[in-house]
Amino acid sequence: MASHITGNLVITLIVAHLIASIAAVELRNLRASTWALCVQSLFLCAIFGAFAVISRNATLHWWVLSTFVTKVIVVPWMLLYYIKKLPKSELKPIVGFAASLILLFLFLVIFYRFVHTYIEFVAPTPEALVEPARSSLAIAFTIFVLGLYVMVARRDAVKIVIGLVLLENGVHLSLVTLAPSLPETTVFGITTNVIVAAFLLLYLTERVYRQLGTVDTVELSQLKR
Amino acid sequence: MVTDSILAVLVFAVPLAFALVIFLCGGISRVLREGAALMGIGITLAISALIASRVLKGEVLTYWNLNFYVDGLSSLMELLGSAMGFIIIVYSLSYVNHHPRLGDIPERRLRLYYGLILLFLSMMNWTCATNNIIMLYVSLEATTLATAFLVTFYWRRESIEAGYKYLLLVTVGVTFALLGCVLIYSAGIPYLPRRNILLLTELGKVAGSIPHSIVLLASSLIIVGFGTKAGLVPFHAWLPDAHAEAPIPVSALLSGIVIKVGAYALARTITIFAPRFPAIILFVAILCSFGMLVGMIMALVQDDIKRMLAYSSVSQIAYVIEGLGLGSYLGIYGGLFQLTNHTITKALLFLTAGSLMFATGERKISGLSQLRKRMPITAFCFFVGALSISGMPPFNGFVSKFTIFLAVAEQGLLWAAVIAVITGFLSVACFARAAYLLFWVTPAEGITGTGSPQPPPIRETPPTMLMGMILLAALCLLLGVYPQLVHPMLDSATKIILKLLTGL
Repeated sequence: MASHITGNLVITLIVAHLIASIAAVELRNLRASTWALCVQSLFLCAIFGAFAVISRNATLHWWVLSTFVTKVIVVPWMLLYYIKKLPKSELKPIVGFAASLILLFLFLVIFYRFVHTYIEFVAPTPEALVEPARSSLAIAFTIFVLGLYVMVARRDAVKIVIGLVLLENGVHLSLVTLAPSLPETTVFGITTNVIVAAFLLLYLTERVYRQLGTVDTVELSQLKR
Repeated sequence: MVTDSILAVLVFAVPLAFALVIFLCGGISRVLREGAALMGIGITLAISALIASRVLKGEVLTYWNLNFYVDGLSSLMELLGSAMGFIIIVYSLSYVNHHPRLGDIPERRLRLYYGLILLFLSMMNWTCATNNIIMLYVSLEATTLATAFLVTFYWRRESIEAGYKYLLLVTVGVTFALLGCVLIYSAGIPYLPRRNILLLTELGKVAGSIPHSIVLLASSLIIVGFGTKAGLVPFHAWLPDAHAEAPIPVSALLSGIVIKVGAYALARTITIFAPRFPAIILFVAILCSFGMLVGMIMALVQDDIKRMLAYSSVSQIAYVIEGLGLGSYLGIYGGLFQLTNHTITKALLFLTAGSLMFATGERKISGLSQLRKRMPITAFCFFVGALSISGMPPFNGFVSKFTIFLAVAEQGLLWAAVIAVITGFLSVACFARAAYLLFWVTPAEGITGTGSPQPPPIRETPPTMLMGMILLAALCLLLGVYPQLVHPMLDSATKIILKLLTGL
């Protein structure tokens, strides 16, 4: 019974997690977008916590802890710190706000349903075929695709960092769903990589902005040659 | 024979410790910066050589409950990396240290430079020593993070852009590989009794049990991921920019070692699956044939010598991966031999290009001419490198490429062998053209020396730079005439992969 309730809780958290992810992508104000990312990571922590309760797996507590420290505190803090030195609002994306929101939402829901239905092709173990692992795996792939979309379709360098964090969040969710008993050292290694990569990218973005006065990645590659 | 040995850890702990010393106290004096860098890499090289000598006797060094596992393949990579690191650091003593003297960069940046090179070598050795498939991702990503600020070393607009591109594309690419590794990891765990970690050495045991759809999905993710790191077409977009904008010793490091880390990761994962799944062999062969041709055609049309060498790397790494992807003895042997040769040859070519840039301040092929008399040693080294990389006998490139042709044909992929041979001819054309323009042709009208009618006297570069070049050129010739020299090392590395893929 308890695991049934936690199972439902996981589904609820997954839906909230998806909505927060879309907010992080679609909000044009970069500060608001960062806060949405922070909330998204918080839901991710909650999902990890729920899995820890369901599977009574102590190593998952390390996931909850390191995700909380790195993704809820450090990464948003770094983003807010650098956004202060950069333009407040995202560069106008190629697709307009309303159209982008509707298209993205439709696409993600369809993609989620698709992966959820045909999960046996990507789920490596029989355990991954049952709820809540099934939904969790489907949402992990969906967030991964969402992160890729941001990195391909958006021009703003800060938004691309947000996309990268989303992408990594998706992979980490799949990791927790499929391989919950990963040793702590590996967990720390994986989460530390994300912080360092995000920091280096933001640092470079700030240097580019100081030297060239733009955070437009399209313009950067065109200036080149 | 499996032995517990601290050497497996020291090989990456030592350069890490020296990197920390340089970061913390490198600003105090040159001794704590260049001195520490030389000492750190010297000790690392000694440890790698010691490991290699023990591995050749049939030992496998492990530590911490098989979490670190140094066999023939790891040892080969560590020895190559440390030796190349040594040559590159010695070369940098002249090349990079002349920048603060000229005043184009502040002296304190040298601390970051030497620190990051040692940090990278440490992470690279860790990648080769680790035996955990997820840690392989972590350490591989760490090598990217450590080299990002080496690419942006000059902090010019182009170098920052190149660094940004490098960091972003490789990080995203390697994340794909992580997803692939996660799938393999979770699929493999149920088949291992009483274990919660999937070790790379156990991959062969579970390869037959994992569902086919998962292996194919995960393999494509891993090829995309580690292929991005290795600079495989079409995931190579970061490579030409990063190679062109980084300082020359860093370009040599990127082409010589960084992209080989990606090839190493592929050898540890894809090669294990390849013999059981002919689809993987075919996929890799198509991708690599396409890649070697595209890379070489792009190299032919470059005027910037560094970009030309970068595109040539894109083409050469495809040979390596094609060999490794076959999963047969001849294929793996040829791939590893080509990996070794390309490390030596491309480092040599980049260092000679650096020597030209150091002496003339020019990197356009059309802006240089008739350097044969003024820089005879550099010219000689460039010729050796050019002949070797085009696969001409009696140089090392010939032996390894020929092995790969044979291996590809042995698998029945004749079309791929034909494409590989054609690419070899294009390669000859590309390097003959560059060598002719750089060293022979008399400046025609419209093409002037270094931009002035009376160019400053061009002199041969200092001995610290020449030393590494001569050493590498000698190696090119030596391995071409006497390949038996590296045979025991390559043989042990190949046999270990074959042993792992059959599941011990």
